Amino acid sequence: MKDFKIVFTGPPGAGKTTAITTLSDSRPVVTDVRNTDVNLSKDNTTVGLDFGLIDLGNGQSVRLFGTPGQPRFKFMWRVIATDALGLVILNDNSLPDPLAELGIYLDAYKDVLPATNCVVGVGRMAQRSSPSIDDYSDVLSGRGLMVPVLPVDVRNRDDVLMLVEIVLAQAETRA
Amino acid sequence: MSTNLSSLVDRARVAADAVVGAIGEDSAVVISTADGFDLAHAGARAAEPARLAAMMSSFAAVGAAASEEAAIGVPRCLVVESTQGRLVVRCMQVAGESIVTMLLTDKSVLLGLAWNQLSALERTLSQK
Repeated sequence: MKDFKIVFTGPPGAGKTTAITTLSDSRPVVTDVRNTDVNLSKDNTTVGLDFGLIDLGNGQSVRLFGTPGQPRFKFMWRVIATDALGLVILNDNSLPDPLAELGIYLDAYKDVLPATNCVVGVGRMAQRSSPSIDDYSDVLSGRGLMVPVLPVDVRNRDDVLMLVEIVLAQAETRA
Repeated sequence: MSTNLSSLVDRARVAADAVVGAIGEDSAVVISTADGFDLAHAGARAAEPARLAAMMSSFAAVGAAASEEAAIGVPRCLVVESTQGRLVVRCMQVAGESIVTMLLTDKSVLLGLAWNQLSALERTLSQK
């Protein structure tokens, strides 16, 4: 049995908990509590981690970990990402400055990103189409990162599975 | 911050000061919301209460998830026993709000005393 670890990170409300819940074959571990931050328009927020499991069916499984989104939980970002096969950065295109949000996570993981399998999933593009996928790619290439960027609906299992498959494919290519 | 939480802040300061007064200046107390915002703190060792509050909320939430997984109910206390001291974290419900309180002590303070002080703190916070 071989386990892979993939970490979902990104800003609050990007859909990390939903993505892991959508994909997990077992009941996910969720550490959401009531949100008291008036600047964040959601009822609950993740403060510890999310965890889910995908059985790949060939004796292999993928362990999915989600980070808390708020920068005050930055200490958890690297703890959770330790020994991960790859990183899925989820973003919310309806945020006021989505590219700046992306930058926060690129900065946080800048030491490991050049050698890490990574994909960026952009949610809520139907609500707001700008910045475009190309704009995201430009930001990434400006940092010397060749990272795929995809529009994603985290409620859609196939969309989220695609992100995981891209990370696994990158890992296979590097091996 | 909700009205409930705002009304707790003054009592939280008093309660935190009382615990540090009872245990000693070499201790620290941070009282925070379940989502990691510090409401009050006391003690010289609480150098960065905002960071400690966020860390303790993560710790408490992971403890709650583990308690649920193990079907042992709702966590009351979590303890980090380290080589030079300990962190005792108490999860409490006060005025309908989930509150996480952390007490940092050195090794000379008995765990029972820490628990006792945190129980007293919870009673203080619960008083109207």
